[in-house]
Amino acid sequence: MKTRLEQIINLLTDEIEQRLRQRGLPATAPGARAGEAAPAEQRARPPASSPNHEPRAVPERATAEKEPPSRPLGAPHAARLIVRLALVLVVLIVLVNIPLNRFGTTLATMLPDSSAWVMVDGFVVKEEDDPEIYVFQDGRLRWISSIQAFEAYGWDWGDVHVAEDGYLDGLEIGPPLEVVAKCWNSPHVYLLERGEKRWIRDIETFTSEGYVWEDVRTLDCSYLRSIPDGETIPPGSGPPPRP
Amino acid sequence: MSNLAIVETILRDRRSFFEEIRDGKELGAKMRAMLVSCVAFFALYGAVMGSSHSLWQALSSAGKLPALFLATLMVCAPTLYFFNLIFGSNQSLSQNVVLMLSGITVTAVLLLSFAPVVLFFLLTTSHYQFFKLLNVGVFAISGMVGVGFLSQGMRIVSDAGGRGGEKRRFVVRAWILLYAFVGSQMAWTLRPFIGAPSITGFELFRQLGGNFYANIFASLGEVLGFFMVR
Repeated sequence: MKTRLEQIINLLTDEIEQRLRQRGLPATAPGARAGEAAPAEQRARPPASSPNHEPRAVPERATAEKEPPSRPLGAPHAARLIVRLALVLVVLIVLVNIPLNRFGTTLATMLPDSSAWVMVDGFVVKEEDDPEIYVFQDGRLRWISSIQAFEAYGWDWGDVHVAEDGYLDGLEIGPPLEVVAKCWNSPHVYLLERGEKRWIRDIETFTSEGYVWEDVRTLDCSYLRSIPDGETIPPGSGPPPRP
Repeated sequence: MSNLAIVETILRDRRSFFEEIRDGKELGAKMRAMLVSCVAFFALYGAVMGSSHSLWQALSSAGKLPALFLATLMVCAPTLYFFNLIFGSNQSLSQNVVLMLSGITVTAVLLLSFAPVVLFFLLTTSHYQFFKLLNVGVFAISGMVGVGFLSQGMRIVSDAGGRGGEKRRFVVRAWILLYAFVGSQMAWTLRPFIGAPSITGFELFRQLGGNFYANIFASLGEVLGFFMVR
């Protein structure tokens, strides 16, 4: 739908064309009405049939209009930049995936959080559906053999990391973590294991079991007495003495 | 480099690119170049994502991410083609596929440009749920720009088609929604791409269960401190 203004312009164009024809000059291109842009070449072409006129130079603007419209002027460097970015990324991906220790910790998995742990000595962990608690020592997992041992080493439940079942699979298991203890006023030494205290009969047995004096922890006597007696070490050594 | 040059053409001179598709010029070469480019870019981004877990996960995600986008394309391409046909389009299936690939290539380029940012957060934060949401955000932005590009291409190409252009534009918009749904379900099926840190072993695929949207909701809940995802 042409607007009123366009209709007026068309009427004027028709009038001009008619007068030009009367004077022997070429009329405007047929499509060059308002709202119907004439091709750039036709508009720029000089009137060839006018012998009285010198051939006019083609205006610069008309030449520019002949150019294809949408070619970008920017330097074609985006593809090169993408290749470089891709190469840098490949190098970085390789770098962050190189294992830095024998547990396979990489730069990408180095930061710990609630579920991404880095195993270090003293790391206390249990699996979700397994009551056994382990401590990581010297590259091995050691089962903490009793609650007394757990407490004797100064841990509390806040130190225990709960992992999904199967998290500890494949890790090397070391000897259980046991506690040998005595109380202040008694010379008797006991092994605390599975919720019981087992009296170690003499110093020969103590050393033959592989303990050293530095292993012995001194606990409160009443606490030690409250722990039920288990089998003596060696078994059948008679009734255990009171701590 | 010649395959990557098409990326430059798409980004800088999209109008001519779409007009060439409309005229059916060198569709095969365009398709091949875009496939090579987007597979390479997706693979790189996938490797960055998987690096948060292990080298095996990085390699697995590098393979799975291109597969995700190309499989989604294969699933959704016939729908767009036949619906366009019903509403008077005169485009061929190849033209449709090239147009879709151009949108996917734009998504791939944007993902590649986000890769250093994701790598930075991978090295400086350790919260799994945050990292997952960061990636979802990156995919959402890149995907939206990609389908926006596709929509623009469809408009240019379909202007030359027969009547029913307005209806075809509506079809494209509806198809974009379908594409997003299929894509998210495909991603859920092919997961993991990042790999949960509490699972020490490598998983190629995880058993089905739950859905993408419930999982994102749960991750948002944990990041915002409403509850813990176990």
